[in-house]
Amino acid sequence: MPGEGARRAPVRIDVEELGKSYGSFAALDNVSLTVRPGELLALLGPSGSGKTTLLRAIAGLTATEEGTIRFDGEDATTLSLRERRVGFVFQQYALFRHMTVFDNVAFGLRVRPQGERPRAGEIARRVRRLLELVQLPGLEKRFPSQLSGGQRQRVALARALAIEPNVLLLDEPFGALDAKVRKELRRWLRELHTETGLTTIFVTHDQEEALELADRVVIMREGKVEQIGTPADIYDEPATPYVCEFLGGVARFETKAKDGEADILGSTFPIESDGDYSGPALAYVRAHEIEIVSRELAEGVPAVIRAVRPFGPTVTVELSIEGRAERIEAEVPRELHSGGELGLGQGVFIRAVSARIFPVN
Amino acid sequence: MSTLSLADVLPKRSPSVLPGFGLTMGLTLTWLSLIILIPLAGVFITSAGLGWTEFWRLASDARTVAALKLSFGTALIAAGLNAVFGLLVAWVLVRYSFPGKRLLDAAIDLPFALPTAVAGLAFTALYAPNGWLGSWLVPLGLKVAFTPLGIVVALVFIGLPFVVRTVQPVLADFDKELEEAAATLGATRFQTVRRIVLPALMPPLLTGFALAFARGVGEYGSIIFIAGNIPYVSEIAPLLIVIRLEEFNYAGATAVAAIMLVISFALLFVINLLQAWNRRRIGLAG
Repeated sequence: MPGEGARRAPVRIDVEELGKSYGSFAALDNVSLTVRPGELLALLGPSGSGKTTLLRAIAGLTATEEGTIRFDGEDATTLSLRERRVGFVFQQYALFRHMTVFDNVAFGLRVRPQGERPRAGEIARRVRRLLELVQLPGLEKRFPSQLSGGQRQRVALARALAIEPNVLLLDEPFGALDAKVRKELRRWLRELHTETGLTTIFVTHDQEEALELADRVVIMREGKVEQIGTPADIYDEPATPYVCEFLGGVARFETKAKDGEADILGSTFPIESDGDYSGPALAYVRAHEIEIVSRELAEGVPAVIRAVRPFGPTVTVELSIEGRAERIEAEVPRELHSGGELGLGQGVFIRAVSARIFPVN
Repeated sequence: MSTLSLADVLPKRSPSVLPGFGLTMGLTLTWLSLIILIPLAGVFITSAGLGWTEFWRLASDARTVAALKLSFGTALIAAGLNAVFGLLVAWVLVRYSFPGKRLLDAAIDLPFALPTAVAGLAFTALYAPNGWLGSWLVPLGLKVAFTPLGIVVALVFIGLPFVVRTVQPVLADFDKELEEAAATLGATRFQTVRRIVLPALMPPLLTGFALAFARGVGEYGSIIFIAGNIPYVSEIAPLLIVIRLEEFNYAGATAVAAIMLVISFALLFVINLLQAWNRRRIGLAG
């Protein structure tokens, strides 16, 4: 059959200097980014960071005041929603309650103008194939109210895919699901993305989800892009203090740098971004980058063990040091715990193995 | 053979999470009986005193039949018109903001609050051959006052708030994402309204229609002014009941009343069935 099955080349999206404000609140502030063809991109940020506004702007659901969005170089801001052909999956799925699963999925095909609309038999065939793709065969006659959350999610996806979209946009795709279903669907979505090859953008506030699933992650803050990079880039080289804190699991130190170096927990680390900076600085050390040293060596700084949480592959130890109100968390190998070296109230020495230091301007 | 005691046969009473069923159900039944069931039963008992042949003679009387047709016909037409325009009014009130919106919103309730006789007088003054509108319409051959058309006009006025007030909250709660979803799937605005919004509004629309219709069938005060009350033409059934009463023909009056009761009940029952069918159709229990 002509056109059928012939996969179109995935679309590239360019967002150029996009701006949108609600009154004095800037929801999007000069946002520019490129989504590579066939890429799975995550928009990550807390609520109010503009990630959903950006997603809706790309879909054409929210009008922007400044900037352009291009699909394969073509200005999409002048296109109607129908012409954009964006598959959008809403956070609450937005399934049509009064329609069966079949009718929901077929909707996008049935509302096409006469001439473009496939015949009924063809529609039925495509719907059935899509339901197989989302692993819901045989549920055609059910109503959305008769489905579980995960099943609704899949129906919403099948419905969005039915229009053979240029791009697939998902707003908090796992937000309304319980933890177990989330994990399953996450893996499944990754597979589905490989299968369809569509340029896909999803919004999430869960950093683990973004880093695990996406090819690249865009971290947003107050309507601006804070950092774009692969999960490895972002994890290994967080660009700003904000990214460090958002990814979490870090201890934050306010310190002073001298000639591009700062002293953290008894060790000296360079400021990579600014070679000879002197002045106030912020340092972040991840829990697994903190080492507990035996008393004999007496390296680093003295600390007292306040709590031990011995579950998971590592043991988390809460420590307090002099002159610091918040406790420091360290993740240490289990052997240290089973060796009986981690008694509550015991005095130890800790030191940082590595740290990220940012000048404070 | 062991014998079964009554306690074994009856379902075991387990402590309920929502206690008070017995008390509230009892009060409800007593209240409903006093207010609705006993008076209505009275209608049937009185008309039963007529005997079947006499009842049928009164019921099939040409004047009675004409009055019943008029009452139910005009009420249905008016409820239908209200369903269409009430939906439109609710749509405008919910979806758009404009100066004077709250005033307009408050005005919707006027037909509820106004003594119906006032409305009747106002309409009669307006549409009478020498009234503001009547003096324009009558030369064009459009007589409103003292015709069935006038009755429809009055009933549209009376019934409007029922449709608006039932549709309004449902429309206000309607999830905008559903419309957005339809739009991203390529539906035109018209397709979205017809296939997504209207089906969701069907249940309240049907309820509003039923309420407006029921109110229309029972309406008396506003109609008797504008209808002109010409037997066989513009005489409504409730008025016929009053006329029979004034003739001390109590049996005749209750006969008309009994027929009205049966038809009203049948129509409302059908509307309820429609509602239930609609709910089942979208996969909701009940």
